[in-house]
Amino acid sequence: MTLGRRDVMKLAAGLLAAPAIARADAPRVLRFVPQANLSSLDAVAGTQYVVRNAALMVWETLYGVDSSFNPQPQMCEGHEVSDDFKTWSFRLRPGLTFHDGEAVTTRDVLASLQRWMVRDTMGQIIKSRLDALEAIDDRGFRFRLNKPFTKMLFALGKGNAPLPLIMPERIAKTDPFQLIKEYVGSGPMQFRTDEWVPGSRAVFELFQGYQPRAEPADWLAGGRRMNFDRIEWQILPDPATAGAALQNGEIDWWEQPIPDLVPLLKGNRDLVVDIADPLGNLGSLRMNHLHPPFNDPRARRALLMAVSQPDYMAAVCGGDDALWQPTASFFTPGTKLFTEDGGDLLKGPRNYEAAKKLLAEAGYNGEKVILMVATDIAITKAEGDVTADMLGKIGMNVDYQALDWGTVGARRSKKDPPGKGGWNIFHTWHAGADCINPAPYTALDAGGAKAWFGWPDSPAVEQGIVAWYDAADSAAETAAARAINRAAFDDVVYIPTGFFRQYQAWRHDLAGVVKAPFPVFWGVRKT
Amino acid sequence: MMRWARRHPGIAAGGTLLVVIVLAAVLAPLLFTVDPTALAPARRTRPPSADHWFGTDMLGRDIYSRVVYGARVSLIVGFAVALLASGIGLGIGVLAGFVRVLDNVVMRAMDGLMAVPPILLAVALMALTRGSVQNVIVAITIAEVPRVSRLVRGVVLGLRELPYVEAAIAAGTRTPLLVWRHILPNTLAPLIVQASYICASAMIVEAILSFIGAGTPPTVPSWGNIMAEGRALWQVKPFIVFFPAAALSVTVLAVNLLGDGLRDALDPRMTKRY
Amino acid sequence: MWRYAGRRVLATVPVMGFVALFVFSLLYFAPGDPAAIIAGDQASADDIARIRVSLGLDRPFLIRFGEWLWHVLNGDLGTSIFSNLPVVHLIGQRVEPTLSLMLLTLLLSVGVAVPLGVLAAARAGSWIDRLVMLFAVLGFSVPVFVVGYVLAYVFALQLEWLPVQGYTPIARGVLPWLRNLVLPVVSLGAIYIALIARITRAAMLEVLGQDYIRTARAKGLGLAPILFVHALKNASVPIVTVIGLGVALLIGGAVVTESVFAIPGIGRLVVDAILRRDYPVIQGVTLLFSVVYVLVNLLVDLTYSLLDPRIRQ
Repeated sequence: MTLGRRDVMKLAAGLLAAPAIARADAPRVLRFVPQANLSSLDAVAGTQYVVRNAALMVWETLYGVDSSFNPQPQMCEGHEVSDDFKTWSFRLRPGLTFHDGEAVTTRDVLASLQRWMVRDTMGQIIKSRLDALEAIDDRGFRFRLNKPFTKMLFALGKGNAPLPLIMPERIAKTDPFQLIKEYVGSGPMQFRTDEWVPGSRAVFELFQGYQPRAEPADWLAGGRRMNFDRIEWQILPDPATAGAALQNGEIDWWEQPIPDLVPLLKGNRDLVVDIADPLGNLGSLRMNHLHPPFNDPRARRALLMAVSQPDYMAAVCGGDDALWQPTASFFTPGTKLFTEDGGDLLKGPRNYEAAKKLLAEAGYNGEKVILMVATDIAITKAEGDVTADMLGKIGMNVDYQALDWGTVGARRSKKDPPGKGGWNIFHTWHAGADCINPAPYTALDAGGAKAWFGWPDSPAVEQGIVAWYDAADSAAETAAARAINRAAFDDVVYIPTGFFRQYQAWRHDLAGVVKAPFPVFWGVRKT
Repeated sequence: MMRWARRHPGIAAGGTLLVVIVLAAVLAPLLFTVDPTALAPARRTRPPSADHWFGTDMLGRDIYSRVVYGARVSLIVGFAVALLASGIGLGIGVLAGFVRVLDNVVMRAMDGLMAVPPILLAVALMALTRGSVQNVIVAITIAEVPRVSRLVRGVVLGLRELPYVEAAIAAGTRTPLLVWRHILPNTLAPLIVQASYICASAMIVEAILSFIGAGTPPTVPSWGNIMAEGRALWQVKPFIVFFPAAALSVTVLAVNLLGDGLRDALDPRMTKRY
Repeated sequence: MWRYAGRRVLATVPVMGFVALFVFSLLYFAPGDPAAIIAGDQASADDIARIRVSLGLDRPFLIRFGEWLWHVLNGDLGTSIFSNLPVVHLIGQRVEPTLSLMLLTLLLSVGVAVPLGVLAAARAGSWIDRLVMLFAVLGFSVPVFVVGYVLAYVFALQLEWLPVQGYTPIARGVLPWLRNLVLPVVSLGAIYIALIARITRAAMLEVLGQDYIRTARAKGLGLAPILFVHALKNASVPIVTVIGLGVALLIGGAVVTESVFAIPGIGRLVVDAILRRDYPVIQGVTLLFSVVYVLVNLLVDLTYSLLDPRIRQ
């Protein structure tokens, strides 16, 4: 093969091309490592946290909660509500456009809200009270309800999935149980589908036509000013690799560094490490209420006596005691509804003998307890290992099934008896932001067959939740919360394994990183 | 004895090392170990010390004990796979070599299995079932059988052409007797050598499977999953990965040395087959 | 020659068919449910059932297999359940990194191992021989991810000569492309070098013991020409065999290496897909690998017949 002069020049240029310098020097590109792989961006049909985090960049919602959880207008100019809270009217801001150039109109809003209401708990409540959701003109629309609903603005502005995202009408018409295939929104960044390598990289590019609000940004409220042309999400499942890449400057921001690596990162002068979200997370041990032994509340209370939150938290938090605290509450510590009423069994020294006795009373006789452990997620693996040990301490016969998160996700939905493909215990955790009150709190529902996996059945808890929704004022809300907490511990809806926070880490040349339940990309810039 | 050792250094070194490791695995409870599954989250990731010779892992378990008990798993997986794969491969190879009709079908099937890279095959098989030592053994065996059967079939086909075998067939010797008297003894040597390599390979495959998260369950201390669990911390607490890695490397080394030595001793002409 | 080639090619068809059936069945019977994963953490059992139906996961075996096979023969490997992108597209995105990794490893390994093996054979019994063999056995015994981590620690973190992870497409420059691949290639190459060196040495020893070599030496030919012209040519059959069979080893090792160094290759794609039960991806990739493996072996066989005319019979 003969090379012409041109070819030789090109070859030489290629060889001399600046080597990929370890630092991500481009000031308008942000390289971010998310907590998990991004497999889709549909945050209405799918509820994974990582999907929600990505969706927040590409789409917007009508309202957006600020850091005090007060919903503020985002896509809307404002609202009007009737005195009986049955009629809610809204008006969109002028000049909103989608990434494909089309203007955002009421038709898009109505279709998007219809899709969202099918999947979301609050949406379902609204839908059940809905007389009509109608357009007033091409920027105005209105909800007409047959029962009052005071929490409408929060429902339209909340940050947990399913998100009430506004999509073009044609995309919003997708079946709510199927994932959307086109990612077109009106948010500050557009998703580059052509550059997406699932499992490895997702790329977001600045949307030039975006007009942020005038107010300063505060979580999902205010103006979303982007200082990057490009945000690259690099999926690095191996934490050691991610840690090394951050130290080397190959990435700028790591969403969830594992606690064991944090001291190393903190010792590096080029990096900043801080708590990601003061609202933290609640670890969860969930039992199957449908089948023995945990269909008997005494058996569940026996576990309450044996669960040692310090053990769980030491395992989950990598030995960093500053990251966790014990909690005898189903609500997030430090928030308005936090109460430890009824949680005494979780406090104090552990009493394995009493637990064994209670188990015997409940009729436990050495049957196998199927413990599903998702070993590919650090948190659930740590929880699972500690549970296996704890169950052994109270004389239970444990069948430790090491599975992956996908399989756990599948099997936990099965109501079959444990011997026939079912389960007795699995672990998970909930973002503190999702446990501040009953509204986003799917895991607290105790409606039996309709409840979340584990299917707890507690009329007392259900009554408490209804009372909260109907509460007229703050005092009524807190009273309802206390009642819920007591009932939830009495019937042991699930067992909180502790309250813990996580760190995030970024390079020191990144300014504007805030604490929030999700990574906030607007306002961040490279200095 | 010493002269024999000097003439066969591979067998001597590999064999001795292997015997030591097997003894350590068998006598594990007597070797100053504690319960390898005993958790103590408050004492997690302590570096090696007088109390914990190899340190503690992310759940506070004693790594020294886990490594010693872990020898059991790796050795069981290695030997079981070697034995099973050899046995089954022998059977299939002899059948294919003797029964014309089966030869084509069986060998195509074996080719088909071999077309899938062994790690992928093992991972796929593990994805079908729960993680357990038995399932790991089955998965790796299935991946190794095709090669053994090819080897045996090749030997059998070659033997069948030899004059004395042809003579025996012509004289009307019944096939089972033929196989027992003439075929099997000649397959033994290459089979043993191959078995040793399979043993080494199986131990490494088990480690890789655990590394990816598709191997032995975490309740069972195996070198593979001690390394998998400690891999996130290798930069800050390298001892968690180092000790099982060293143990695995030494054991595999021993088996490989043994295999090399056996091959040199049993039939120098066999260097053509690996 | 062509008839031999033709026969060999035809013989691969039933093999491929068997692989297809085998792979498809394997995953058909697998537990684990992609529908549940899509539905996400907060979904109910009914939600999951609806998603299953909408994905077509509830239809019988033969129908699903037949459909799949038909699509494959038309060049359509299906759509990933998780990313909604065509499998062919996903594989296409990741071919370059894996191919780069494997080809470079192959080149490095053969380039290092063959001379080493020849050297060891030429100096059989000496300390050079023992040293080379020791390194070979070590390369075979230390797990590939341990080698990877150690190299990354020394060269990327401590010395900062090389990046710790990632892949740069060759379009962005040959030097950056190489820099990202040095550590993974060396880690992966260790096993392969060990393997090839051993076989080379063994094959060379076998050949060097033959009469015609002794004759050549008696005739006064120098060692180097003997080694490289006569001996190597005759020893090449087993060496080429091993290279061919070793491709399977390479693929397995690539899975781990891609994981350690975060290379967006096919190995990582398939491991992620298996853990998530993304059937179309698993089926497509396994089929692809089998095709590659079968083709490689075909090439090996054809190379034999070039190197050794006796085989064509």
